[in-house]
Amino acid sequence: MTSAILEARGLTKSYGGRVVVDHLNLDCRPGSVLGLLGPNGAGKTTTLRMLYGFVPPDEGAISYEGMEFSKHRSEAKRMIGVCTQEDSLDYDFTVAQNLFIYASYFRPRVENLDRRVAELLARFELTPYADASPHVLSGGFVRRLLIARSIVHRPRVLFLDEPTTGLDPSARLDAWELIDGMRSDGLAIVLTTHYMDEAERLSDELLVVHEGRDVAHGEPHRVIGDLLGDHVVVIPRHEPARDRIETWLQSRGAQQVATVLGELRVPVSKDDLLALSAEFEGATWQVRPPNLDDLFIALARRNGRIR
Amino acid sequence: MSAAESLTAAFHWQSWAVFRRNALVFLRNWRTAVIPPAMEPVIFFVAFGIGFSGYIEDLDYRGAQMNYATYVAAGLIAYTGFGTPYYEALYAAYVRMFYQKTWDGILATQVELPSVVWGEILWAAVRGMVNISIVCSVIAVFDVIGVVDVKVAFLVFMPFLGFIAGCAFASFALIFTAIVPAIDHMNYPVFLIGWPLSLVSNTFFPIDPQSVVLRALWQINPVYQLAEAARGLLVFGDPGPHLVGLLGSTLLFLVPCTVLSTRLTRRRVLGE
Repeated sequence: MTSAILEARGLTKSYGGRVVVDHLNLDCRPGSVLGLLGPNGAGKTTTLRMLYGFVPPDEGAISYEGMEFSKHRSEAKRMIGVCTQEDSLDYDFTVAQNLFIYASYFRPRVENLDRRVAELLARFELTPYADASPHVLSGGFVRRLLIARSIVHRPRVLFLDEPTTGLDPSARLDAWELIDGMRSDGLAIVLTTHYMDEAERLSDELLVVHEGRDVAHGEPHRVIGDLLGDHVVVIPRHEPARDRIETWLQSRGAQQVATVLGELRVPVSKDDLLALSAEFEGATWQVRPPNLDDLFIALARRNGRIR
Repeated sequence: MSAAESLTAAFHWQSWAVFRRNALVFLRNWRTAVIPPAMEPVIFFVAFGIGFSGYIEDLDYRGAQMNYATYVAAGLIAYTGFGTPYYEALYAAYVRMFYQKTWDGILATQVELPSVVWGEILWAAVRGMVNISIVCSVIAVFDVIGVVDVKVAFLVFMPFLGFIAGCAFASFALIFTAIVPAIDHMNYPVFLIGWPLSLVSNTFFPIDPQSVVLRALWQINPVYQLAEAARGLLVFGDPGPHLVGLLGSTLLFLVPCTVLSTRLTRRRVLGE
C-alpha cells in the first residue's frame, strides 16, 4: 500500500468554548478517496478547513508528504486543491479566464498553462462555454468549473466539500465519473458529502465524525457493520403490530430504534431477526443490509435530533 | 500572523496577484468603471470652482493671490485622491468579500489573508491614480483656456501623490468593510467620516484652525496634506512642508489601519 500523502494527528478546534473537532486523526493516500461523513454540525467542514489551511487548528499536526504544514505552508498549499461548497467563481471573467486567473494564485507557476486550461475545458466538457460568462452555466456545469478550477495547478491532494449538493441525479453521476477519473490520475481526494450512496460508492475509506469525534473509520461496508450490525428491520407505519414489535425489540436490548415518517427502522442481530420472525409470524416487515442513512439517523438520534 | 507579516505582505507576489485580478476586471469594465465616477469631481469643479469664482474674491494663499477656481483645482485632486480609494475599499471590496465570495475562492489557494488585504489596498490606491489623472487632464484643459492658473508640468506628479495617500485611505476603509454587518451600514463611514473629511480639509475652502488641538489634528490628516501638497506644487512648484506631511500622515494611518483591518478581516472571513 502506498504511504499517505496527507497525515493529520490530534486535530482539535474549538469555537466559543465549544469543541467542534476533537482529536481527529486521518490519512489520505494517492489514488484514493477518503470520505468524511457525519450529521450537520459534526465538524466535517471545520476539519477540511484546517486541512487546507483556511483556519489553524488549536491542537494537532498536519503534514503533506512528510512536510509539517505549519512550517512549510506555502509549499504544502501548492500541492493542495480546494473545491468549496459555496460558489466562489469569479463572475467578472469568462469560464476560461476563471481557470487562468485561479492559476495565477500559485507559485511555482503552472507550466504550459494554455494547454492545461484547454485540457481541463475539454475534460469537463466546458469548451463550448470557454468564452461565456459562468452565468450561462447550469448548476451541474458550475460545479464542473469549480472542480476544474481546483485542479488547474495540478495538485496532489484535492478537497471536495459536498461536491454534488444541489445537483440533479444526472449531474451527480457525471460528477462521480469525474471524481473517479481524478482518483485514477493519482490524486488523493478528501470528500465530504451528505449523500449516502455517494459516500458508499466513491470512498475507499470512510471516516465517520460525530460531535467532532471519530466514531468509526475504515472501508464503507465494514464501518456500517461495526456501528449497525448486519441487518436492519423496517416495519411500515400501517403494520398493526408495529407498537408491540417496537416494545418487544426494546425489551431485547435494541437501542437504536428509529422512527422515520412513522416507519420503524431497527438494526438487529441474526438471532434477534430469527426470534422476531417467530414471535410475529403474520406481521409485515422487511429486512435489508444497513446503509449510511441508518448510520446518520443513529448518530443524529444519539445527538437528540431525531426521536 | 504578526503585525510585521501583515505589513510586509505588500511586497509579496500574492498581493500583486490579487491586485492583478482587480485590475483585469477594471480593464474589462473600464467605461462604466471610470467615466461616471471621474465625472463627479469634474462636475464639482465646474459648479464650485467656476460657478463660485464669480462671487468670490481672489484668495490669498502663502502670500500669492489666486482665483477660487485655481484654489479648488488642487482641492479636487485631494477630494478625488481620498474619495476614490476610500469608496473602492468600502463598497467594491465589500461586494467582493460578502456577495461574490471572491476572497473565499482566493483564500483556498496559496494566497494568504494579508495579501488579500494588501491587494485591495494597492488596487484602491491605483484606482485613485486613474481618477486623479482624469481630473488633472480637465485641469490642464482649463489652464489652457485661462480658467485656472497652475503649473501644468506638475500635474504629472498628482497621481503619485494620490497613490501614497490612497493607500492610507483604503486601509482605513477596510476596517469598516470588515466590521459592517450589512452594506447599508456603510452609511456610517460614508456620511459621518468620508463626506466631512473630504469637504473640510482645505479642499474647497481654506481652514485655519485657531485651536492648537485642531491644528495638530490637521497635520495628521492625509486629505489636508494631500490638498496642500498638490496646491503648493501647482501654484508655486513647491509643496512646502506638505510632502513630508503627506508621507508622515500616510504612514501614521497606514501602519495601524493595515494591521487592524487584517485582524478584523481574519475574524470576519475566517472566523478566527
